[in-house]
Amino acid sequence: MKLLSLIVVCLTGGLLLYGTADLPDWGDPNTPASLHLSKYYIENAIRDTEVPNLVTAVLADYRSIDTMLETAVVFCAGLACFMLLRDFTPKKDHYYRHVPSGVILHVKNPDRQIIAGNEFEDMDKEWLPPDTIIKTVCRMLIPFIQIYALYVVAHGDFSPGGGFQGGVILGSSFILLAISYNLKYLLKRVSEKFLGILSAAGVLVYMGIGLAAMVLGGNFLDYEKYAPIFGEHHIRALGMLGVEIGVGMSVTAVMVIIYINIVSEGKHDEGL
Amino acid sequence: MNFFVVICLCIGFLFFLGGTVGIIRMPDFYTRLHPAGKLDTLGLFAMVSGLAAYNLHHFSLSTLLLSVKMMLIVFFVLHSIPTATQAIVDAGMRAGLSPFTRKKTSQLQGTGEE
Repeated sequence: MKLLSLIVVCLTGGLLLYGTADLPDWGDPNTPASLHLSKYYIENAIRDTEVPNLVTAVLADYRSIDTMLETAVVFCAGLACFMLLRDFTPKKDHYYRHVPSGVILHVKNPDRQIIAGNEFEDMDKEWLPPDTIIKTVCRMLIPFIQIYALYVVAHGDFSPGGGFQGGVILGSSFILLAISYNLKYLLKRVSEKFLGILSAAGVLVYMGIGLAAMVLGGNFLDYEKYAPIFGEHHIRALGMLGVEIGVGMSVTAVMVIIYINIVSEGKHDEGL
Repeated sequence: MNFFVVICLCIGFLFFLGGTVGIIRMPDFYTRLHPAGKLDTLGLFAMVSGLAAYNLHHFSLSTLLLSVKMMLIVFFVLHSIPTATQAIVDAGMRAGLSPFTRKKTSQLQGTGEE
């Protein structure tokens, strides 16, 4: 089985390398992209899409199917990380700190666990949480980071930004929570199931927008078919916003999934 | 108004210069974090305040909004740089890096000569 997958991987890699031979040289001015395509985008993007940000217009409208599959690639990266690293064997040793006295208990029997509450605090074997200064400042900053991330997602049409960038900022705010407290604190707030569903739902939102345009009688991802529902005004910008939200959801969830799987070696109990 | 802007930029330049020289000249990890954390924060504060004031030359709602955004950046940086420096020092202590002392190096040099 391993040999078979090795052969498949080598074959795919070889085919991809073979395919790169057909790609034009770097910066070649005679490629179709330089001769016709860029000129067309620069001249017509604002009239076609009514979106001031040319990059978003190309990314989420002209080449929207490409971006959809990019989102699917991001989702596959999270899925691969989960499949390779996730380890479901329960942890044997548990450490608790008695909060009033500061005594640390080491419980080896998995059946007799202390329920962490006001008196006993769950703690990691290797990682001690940082001190109060870092916790307090991170607790104060995280909401602002998240609002900024939503701003970046929502303003992808009008200024630099978009789903990928905003998703990364939103994901990093969750990672900051895990670093400044600990991993359990993060997993109490965003569970693994929620992250998995969110990463898949992002791709689903993107494809759903495309399919709904087909149902309304247009091509796949043809945002103008939504005009009867949302009105003619800036309808393509609205469609792009919906697509960017899908991308942002997927990227956020995948960032956090990759982080928690790598940092805890798939056990989801302790780590940075 | 221009006078204030120039003063702010000069102060910021001085702080940044001191920070850079400090990072190059200081002897070890912890002491290098000292100019990196303190002087860059203050230099950024002075410089961006000057630029925000300069931006208000043509006073209107949009320039005011831009200046407020710049001051918001300063506000968040003023919180995050000292905290990051604290976290880096904390990580250094946990990793077991001992701070620089003149006594220890002279001892080390002494043993090296012997």
